[in-house]
Amino acid sequence: MSESPKKLFLLDGMALIYRAYFAFSKSPRINSKGLNTSAMFGFTNTLLEILNKEKPTHIAVAFDTVAPTARHTEFEAYKAHRDAIPEDLAISIPWVFEIIEGFNIPVLTMDGYEADDIIGTLAKEAERQGFTTYMMTPDKDFGQLVSEHIFMYKPSSFGSGAEILGIPEILKKFEIANVSQVIDILGLWGDAADNIPGIPGVGEKTAKQLIADYGSVENIIANADKLKGKLADKVKEHANLALLSKKLATIITDVPIEFNEEKLRLEPVDKEKLSAVFGELEFRALAKKVLNEEITTETTITESASPKQATLFGDASAVANDNDESNEEAPAGNLQTIDTIPHQYHLADTVEKRKSLIAQLENVKSFCFDTETTNIDANNAELVGLSFAITPHEAWYIPVPANYDEARELVHEFKAVFENKNIGKTGQNIKYDMMMLKWYDVAVQGPLFDTMLAHYLVEPDMRHNMNLLAEVYLNYEPVKIESLIGEKKSEQISMRDVDTSIIKDYAAEDADITLQLQHKLEPELEKHQLKNYSMKWRCL
Amino acid sequence: MEMPLIPVLAGMETEGVALDPNALVEFSAQLEKEITVVEAAVYEAAGMKFNISSPKQLGEVFFDILKIDPKAKKTKTGQYATGEDILSKLADKHPAVQMVLEYRGLVKLKNTYVDTLPSMIKPRTGRIHTSYQQAVAATGRLSSNNPNLQNIPIRTERGKEVRKAFVARNANYILVSADYSQIELRIIAEFSKDESMLNAFRHGIDIHTSTASKVYNVPLDQVTSEMRRNAKMVNFGIIYGISAFGLSQRLNIPRKEAATIIENYFREFPTIKSYMDGSIESARKNGYVETILGRKRYLRDINSANAVVRGFAERNAINAPIQGSAADMIKVAMINIHQTLVDLNLKSKMILQVHDELVFDVAIEELEIIKPIIREKMVNAIQMKVPIEVEIGAGKNWLEAH
Repeated sequence: MSESPKKLFLLDGMALIYRAYFAFSKSPRINSKGLNTSAMFGFTNTLLEILNKEKPTHIAVAFDTVAPTARHTEFEAYKAHRDAIPEDLAISIPWVFEIIEGFNIPVLTMDGYEADDIIGTLAKEAERQGFTTYMMTPDKDFGQLVSEHIFMYKPSSFGSGAEILGIPEILKKFEIANVSQVIDILGLWGDAADNIPGIPGVGEKTAKQLIADYGSVENIIANADKLKGKLADKVKEHANLALLSKKLATIITDVPIEFNEEKLRLEPVDKEKLSAVFGELEFRALAKKVLNEEITTETTITESASPKQATLFGDASAVANDNDESNEEAPAGNLQTIDTIPHQYHLADTVEKRKSLIAQLENVKSFCFDTETTNIDANNAELVGLSFAITPHEAWYIPVPANYDEARELVHEFKAVFENKNIGKTGQNIKYDMMMLKWYDVAVQGPLFDTMLAHYLVEPDMRHNMNLLAEVYLNYEPVKIESLIGEKKSEQISMRDVDTSIIKDYAAEDADITLQLQHKLEPELEKHQLKNYSMKWRCL
Repeated sequence: MEMPLIPVLAGMETEGVALDPNALVEFSAQLEKEITVVEAAVYEAAGMKFNISSPKQLGEVFFDILKIDPKAKKTKTGQYATGEDILSKLADKHPAVQMVLEYRGLVKLKNTYVDTLPSMIKPRTGRIHTSYQQAVAATGRLSSNNPNLQNIPIRTERGKEVRKAFVARNANYILVSADYSQIELRIIAEFSKDESMLNAFRHGIDIHTSTASKVYNVPLDQVTSEMRRNAKMVNFGIIYGISAFGLSQRLNIPRKEAATIIENYFREFPTIKSYMDGSIESARKNGYVETILGRKRYLRDINSANAVVRGFAERNAINAPIQGSAADMIKVAMINIHQTLVDLNLKSKMILQVHDELVFDVAIEELEIIKPIIREKMVNAIQMKVPIEVEIGAGKNWLEAH
């Protein structure tokens, strides 16, 4: 097939939103405000996949409106069986509109017509104007519109990559000689998705056989007498239903909608708008990607021949790809940071300073601590430093030497307080820190409070990392570890090689924030009557 | 309970489990041989040599040359789709298909476990240190990675071989495995107070035979193995909200028959039905469900007008308290056992937790001391009316112990 330089993508908006929403139904993405963002996230990923991989020159998203269409008027049951839209999904729709707007992509609607009809009309007009068009939809009806320059584009899903269906694929799929017969097949077989009845008792196989023999619904009805017993009866009895079904399945291609090439042209994204929307939805990694991607998007328009940036989404899970979302990126919004909140973070790098800290730790009911190490695997890591917090906004950082014996000696200055059963210890994923200390022969004792687990008990379905908790409970954005060790995994340096004065702020802040989180989460546990649950077995 | 569990898990993770790399080397060699054999069989059946691991070549051989499926689908990249789901459906169309599936199973086992486990040994200890995640599964269960113990295959003979490689630390130690028996069904019996289930557990009657006897309305001694098999699937399926369709698929029986079985089940066990309805009802009212110790699971879609998402929440409303209570129970047992081991100053260590099972690395001279401790702490972790049973075994490796 010859590739036209003008490449138009027409998206079936609602179908894609449904699909995105249900792709996450087993573990929906809920943001810190309790908003289910599955549909927005999945839709955005699908959109990005298209923009990056397919590099359309023109694009639009079509939606139905609430106004009834001719199909409803003609056939009362049309789509009437459809179940209520899930509430979380209904809430998602305006958000998706905002996202589409942020991408500077036109939304097309027309009262009295369905998205299918808009897409059909524009695809046919685009063909006359020399475009290659891809209709992005999982809906099989669209097979009838396929031509030499019009394709169905079935988005990729978990198991399989995206699928492009042209004339040969449609003919094969429906076992027909001409794509126009798709509506004949659907007229007989019906389409459960739209409640198009077809002829009762006629399934896929019979429909295909009948069309192979007689070519069209009309011709089958005309030749009903030649059919065998029961089938003949069915066709005769339901001839009108078959004709109506065929009509319902026919996509209208003369919708009075203007084909405006300029309006459909792919524009650069509206950075400001998108970053605001992504900020509210808490799509940090996506926000970062889209901003980085922008250059790629722009070069697309000029059809640059230079190699494009590697695609961000594999075929396998374009919708569900959220691995990178844990890599929290700078959020938009007005969060407090280390630069906006007064704090006292001390560097305790002498025996005297450590002694004075330990004297304080000995006399408190509980303290918060954190370890800085060389590896996320505690059984493979060395200590780089320790940090402590007792009251909010004040914390200490203690650098630990690289030499194991020296390190052990230093850590043992704190052994008594760590092993004091009467002093509570607080940490974020404190198990890790305890394991670290074990390798230095320190067995942490005393009542434990883990902010990660506390949040797990309060909100079992959400994520529990400290940066997210800080944002939600403290409206605070902690220093990013990437600002210390580097962004790219392959180029990251060891914590050991980061300047102590830089680690100090990062590490002390961690202890401070974890302590502040404890103060927020303890009442939450109480409120949820979960405190007993987490503490009940403490004194065994 | 979550907080006191932290040091227990930290201890298990630091302790680690010994691995017998030789067992895996042998097994790897054996798998390699079997892979070669299957490979040759595939070539033979297909009538040509090709790279079976290449989906592209495989697709061309299967669909262009052998024409196994005239309606084979291509992905966007122009290759044929040859995923497991697709090949499974074609298994009876050509002998090579089943062989390719077997080939893939062997290669996967070899790559993900047999050849990978030795690389997970930490130089510091010479052991494997699986890492437990306490805040991942919303039900309350623990999950683990590096390696993920939950995913080690146990159903197939070859999969079991992997467990053989987990061994006691030295000749003076032995592995002990303690497994809750049918814990989720016991919890259902407890929650629903279903007399016939409670009765079966109290009198040590096989629960699936007992269920079959009621569902098929035959005396216990006339329950056939097929009836028992079907009843077993219903017993386990019910808590996951299995449908007639799901059951018919699992058991490979007509949907009508499956529907009848489910209908009979609920008629015979009306208390289970009302317990399940009660769970959903309370979820609707409160927005959450709870485990026996009060762990909450919020179900935001429980009142949705959309049947699909509501159905999903309803299944969770039934399932979460059961799975979560089983998790509560084993967690309490772990805390208590750990504490006792410390108090008695025993050398033996608890080293693994997977599903409803605990694994210990036990000093041989402590074996007889520790077995009753494990049993007592597991059985009495949470007081229940239904009797709790624990199966304990010992052996030089995990497979023998289990």
